[in-house]
Amino acid sequence: MRFAFLLASATLLAPAATFEADIHPLFRAKCQGCHNAKTASGGLSLESITQVLRGGKSGAVVVPGRPVDSVLLSLIASGKMPMGGAKLSEPEIAAIRSWIENEERKPPVAERDVQAVLAAKCWVCHGRREKQGGLDLRTREAMLRGGKSGPAIVPGKPEDSLLVKRIGAQEMPPPKLQEQFSVRGLTDGEFAKVKQWIAEGAAPDPEQPVQVSAVNDPAIKAKDREFWSFKTPVRAPQPRVRAATRVRTPVDAFVLADLESKSKSFSPEADPMVLLRRVFFNLTGLPPSPEQIEAFASDRAPDRYEKLVNRLLESPHYGERWGRHWLDAVGYVDSEGGNNSDANRPHAWRYRDYVIRAFNANKPFDRFLTEQIAGDETFDFRTAPDLTTGQLDLLAATGFWRMAPDGTNSTEQNFIPERMDVIAGQIEVLGSAVMGLSVGCARCHDHKYDPIPTRDYYRLVAVLTPAFDPFHWLPGEFPCGGVGAKCDENNTRYLIPKAFSEYRDAQAHNDPVNARIREIEGEQEKTLETYRARLAADKGIKEGKIPALEEAYPDFKAARAANETRIREERAKLKPLPLVRALFDLGPEPPPTRILHRGDSTTPGALVPPGALSILSAGFPEYRDQPLAHSSGRRLALAKWLTDPRHPLTARVMVNRIWQHHFGTGLVSSAGNFGRMGTAPANQALLDWLSTEFVRTGWDIKALHRLILTSTVYRQRSSPTLGEGDLSAYPFLRIDAESVRDSILMLAGRLDTRQFGPADKFKVQPDGEVITEEGKQGGRRSVYAQHRRTQPVSLLDAFDMPFPNPNCMRRGHSVVASQPLHLLNSDLTRTSARYMAGRIMDVAGDDPGRQIERAYLLAFARKPTADEVQASRALIDGAATEWTRQLKAELPAEPVASRARWMGLASLCHTLMNAAEFLYID
Amino acid sequence: MTTRRDFFSRMQDGLLGTALASLFARDGLAAEQRVYDLTPKKAHHAPRAKAVIQLFQNGGPSQVDLFDHKPALAKYAGQPPSRDLAAEVRAVRQTGGLMPSHYKFSRHGKSGTELSELLPYLGKAADDICVIRSMFTTHLAHEAALFLMHGGRILPGRPSLGAWIVYGLGSENQNLPAYVVLDDPKGPPVNFTQNWQSGWLPAVYQGTRVRSEGSPVLNLNAKNPDPAGITDLSRTLLHKLDSAHRDRHAGNVDLEARIANYELAARMQMAATDALDISKESDTTKEAYGLTDERTASFGKRCLMARRLVERGVRLVQVYIEGQIWDNHNDIRKGLEYSCAKTDRPSAALVRDLKDRGLLDSTLVIWGGEFGRLPIAQDPGPTAGRDHGPSGFSIWMAGGGFKPGITYGATDEIGYRAAENRVSVHDFHATVLHQLGMNHRDLVFRREGRDERITDEFPARVLREILV
Repeated sequence: MRFAFLLASATLLAPAATFEADIHPLFRAKCQGCHNAKTASGGLSLESITQVLRGGKSGAVVVPGRPVDSVLLSLIASGKMPMGGAKLSEPEIAAIRSWIENEERKPPVAERDVQAVLAAKCWVCHGRREKQGGLDLRTREAMLRGGKSGPAIVPGKPEDSLLVKRIGAQEMPPPKLQEQFSVRGLTDGEFAKVKQWIAEGAAPDPEQPVQVSAVNDPAIKAKDREFWSFKTPVRAPQPRVRAATRVRTPVDAFVLADLESKSKSFSPEADPMVLLRRVFFNLTGLPPSPEQIEAFASDRAPDRYEKLVNRLLESPHYGERWGRHWLDAVGYVDSEGGNNSDANRPHAWRYRDYVIRAFNANKPFDRFLTEQIAGDETFDFRTAPDLTTGQLDLLAATGFWRMAPDGTNSTEQNFIPERMDVIAGQIEVLGSAVMGLSVGCARCHDHKYDPIPTRDYYRLVAVLTPAFDPFHWLPGEFPCGGVGAKCDENNTRYLIPKAFSEYRDAQAHNDPVNARIREIEGEQEKTLETYRARLAADKGIKEGKIPALEEAYPDFKAARAANETRIREERAKLKPLPLVRALFDLGPEPPPTRILHRGDSTTPGALVPPGALSILSAGFPEYRDQPLAHSSGRRLALAKWLTDPRHPLTARVMVNRIWQHHFGTGLVSSAGNFGRMGTAPANQALLDWLSTEFVRTGWDIKALHRLILTSTVYRQRSSPTLGEGDLSAYPFLRIDAESVRDSILMLAGRLDTRQFGPADKFKVQPDGEVITEEGKQGGRRSVYAQHRRTQPVSLLDAFDMPFPNPNCMRRGHSVVASQPLHLLNSDLTRTSARYMAGRIMDVAGDDPGRQIERAYLLAFARKPTADEVQASRALIDGAATEWTRQLKAELPAEPVASRARWMGLASLCHTLMNAAEFLYID
Repeated sequence: MTTRRDFFSRMQDGLLGTALASLFARDGLAAEQRVYDLTPKKAHHAPRAKAVIQLFQNGGPSQVDLFDHKPALAKYAGQPPSRDLAAEVRAVRQTGGLMPSHYKFSRHGKSGTELSELLPYLGKAADDICVIRSMFTTHLAHEAALFLMHGGRILPGRPSLGAWIVYGLGSENQNLPAYVVLDDPKGPPVNFTQNWQSGWLPAVYQGTRVRSEGSPVLNLNAKNPDPAGITDLSRTLLHKLDSAHRDRHAGNVDLEARIANYELAARMQMAATDALDISKESDTTKEAYGLTDERTASFGKRCLMARRLVERGVRLVQVYIEGQIWDNHNDIRKGLEYSCAKTDRPSAALVRDLKDRGLLDSTLVIWGGEFGRLPIAQDPGPTAGRDHGPSGFSIWMAGGGFKPGITYGATDEIGYRAAENRVSVHDFHATVLHQLGMNHRDLVFRREGRDERITDEFPARVLREILV
């Protein structure tokens, strides 16, 4: 203690240390082995005072005048640096402290720091797409060239630089436009940076983009590449098993070999009728109807199950069910999220329909993925004379990139950081849903567990910036409501497919309607003028207000009301124009992409070129983009890289997803994380065999379903106590949220099977319950219901429909009190029970035995036991008695008996909907 | 006996787990499954508070008009804001000069806590509250600031503080929701249900919206109930079917929990009705909360319900106030007078009532919004307002082990920026959890291979100097 004190006092007395005389030699001897200009460990070079003051990857290391805040000093004083070397001596440390205390030079301002300020505050009008006043502020050269009023900067002379003058006078950015464009004035600190950079000569950054190739990025060690999921899957030979008679497909051999190694085996086969219900829910999300049950039961063909699987795979309901699984993974929602308005995404459904159609058509997965990532780049949609439906699909597919929560439609949440958040959301989706990696972690720091350096994250950002340009952000609404960024046909994230026949037809239909509307509006205006003139003549009141005119002249009021009605009627005739919510290239000169230290857009680092993940880049063709005439080609290159047959993760992640939705748990149970912190595959040989088989069959999804569903492993009896991922039986599963609602509607005979199109609107009931609007034919499947982030349909919410932020790799599965409350008391179940009872009576007549049998077939896909028939009759009879009593009291003039029987049966139906057996699958 | 640490280390992915609201003790089998329920959990350390009542003042109450007396504003009245302040203005075109408060401040109680004349009732409780004048947040939009205040980051989709609390502690009463939200029938706050969502924590931890009028919980009762007697008949068959089904699936914890849930649903009808029945309160109490005054009746009723709920072991009650009544962009005088008339008396009455019943020690009351307001005028003139001010604002806490009768921290000379003893939202979260017996670094949930926390990786400090 005393020693330190003496030293401290000694430094006070001694002449202050200087960098050049005292410190530089010290650094040269002890630090520059790593911190030289070339190696720059941690981004830090200590070769010159400029470099020292500029700092490293995590910012400044020396704060002139403030030793306490200087990281360099604390690392040296604590002995953490020099890393691996001896701690510096106390006098040496004291000298460093003294130098920092007395250092007066400010860290130099780099061009990139100024660009970070100008990008956020100026580029929207002086950049890629707009050059107001002929001025472009994106590069030093362009600033020197200047605009109509002359050069923007005069190096060395901030006071003579127009840029400084206009900002100084708070004329720029123009206060009047700041709100509209989500730009704010410069702070003192930002302005000082701009001035200092110019004063220091407006030197250019001598930098080049990061030249580290993804294939041999030094951040990736050879050992890292050895991790199982980073290596291309290898197809193992089918293992030999003891219980060979149970093997139907290679899947069985792999599963059984694993079970036998644990001294286990397959469970016996499930009852065929149990299997029927299981596979119906699994492939279509709906129970079998009594007629389908009967047909299956009476089919004596040995391959009746295989035929059933094929039939179900061809059902239109298959795509609705399996498309929904993909929609979870990409985070599909019909609203923007991010802010309170949670604005609707009116055209998002085209993407949903694209996905459902793709599954039904069994689109090969590599094509499916390519279309979503780069459908717009696969052809020149801008010059196509006629867009085919298929081409429109290619554009709609890019809706994949428009799913993340996005509050940027609010001018208060449309600043650069929020735009970066949207891009980050999409990269997180790409990472977890397609690559099975938490790439998003590398946004702020090198990934802590997986070999994903920060520059990899920004390589992906660079792939996206030609389309996702944070400095030219397209508004999410069109036509824009309220204030917003510049809003016109060229500035919207909707493609307006004018070359598409549906668009032209709608336009042709609308043109005369719009003409009529304009005509009526003209009439309206004329009438107004006429009556104004009359009022002026009658009472001497000029420019009479409408209420005053209406009061004075009843015929004016009537004429006006009639015209308004006509306008409303005409407007109702307008067909909505088909717009496509898409991602597409915004033209040449995408903004440079820089690593952002700690993910902060105000601390830009090195430039990075577009690319893919380094850890996945060895051993098969690298990411390589080729600029196209109409687009940068970067996303197409990414798709090509992802769908290469040797890619270690794309097939595995998809195969795992399909396995997960067949068995409740994937072979890798952390479906979105195949990295080190994810769970190891329960059976890697199987996963890899399936992945190679998937690729071999041309990424054929339905072939994969067939392979799994016809295997013994899928046909086993279920076990209520199976551990997660155990394949020695089938798991006991609850049906998901959509299946709950859709099944209830189906039991009621009120499932409207019409597909596709705009989402079915939600409605908030007076008590706050959110429901989906139904039509005359009942409700459509829940996949078509409007899903909002803020007002989820209450029933679906209670049964774990996810809030995707940004996506959901695996749904929760909760048992909460709101579930029984909904099933017991909601209008949906209570009304549906009555419909169900009515339909049963239509088919089964008055015989209670037949009624009860049909009710059980509908709800549980089995016949009731004698005991259950008896108990069910007791309920029907008892309830009918109660109803008879009540109806007689309330409606003495009405017929009672048939109604009471109906309501009694409804009570049974309602009870069955509440039973566990209805909600669970064996 | 598994320790809490074992429990956490066994958890994998939150959404993979089975969430249970079971009333029954777990058997050996259940211990192997991941169980998320509301049974009481052991805290990390001895808690100071057992329950929290958060009187959330959405919209952003103006600190310089309520809690943070700034005489300097009078001196600088009308002067333009600094460049830094100007760069933080939301409505740039409406920017005016510095605007002093229209209200007088005076000192109250033995503590001499300085409060505005708009808060006469709180003045009487001044010796029981701890005013923090140096809060700051990082976003100037309601949405993002609310996400931060409730969920710990300016992004949507994260669990709210309340969800973390009941995840960590469970509840003392299994017949009522653990985390109750009493929103205002006159209109929900910005972000609505996202303010009390459980994000990626299991749904069992999300706030339950309890209506102060009409049926308290959604679908607690059928809208058109069946004739009496049918419910019992139906329940008899259901029980028979479910018991047989459970026996065929012996050992499945989901099914046990499901059956228990049906019983809970029935009990909740009774328990919720009783807990919210304020007719049982004395006239004096009703008077104190302002139930007899039209202006205070609605907020007062919810404050009183909050007390009844924590008395019954509910862990956390959040009381919201209509729409954005503190969001006084224009005519701030009219706005503040309206809001204070609604909230001042019931808020103070709640503190007093808890104290009289000996509940204040174990109940933490939090009063505050998502940010404050700027010391400059918005749309200058006689009906000027104030724009959002995220850089410095005030809140108050009472009970739960917070030092009573103190004022902590300070903003700069004009009340714009928190200057002394700055308190971040993360500090606030860490401190609230600390009082409830939890360490914010240890309250973790493993998700996709990462340990998640309410404070994430932000620096966060327990404000020990203001704790008893």
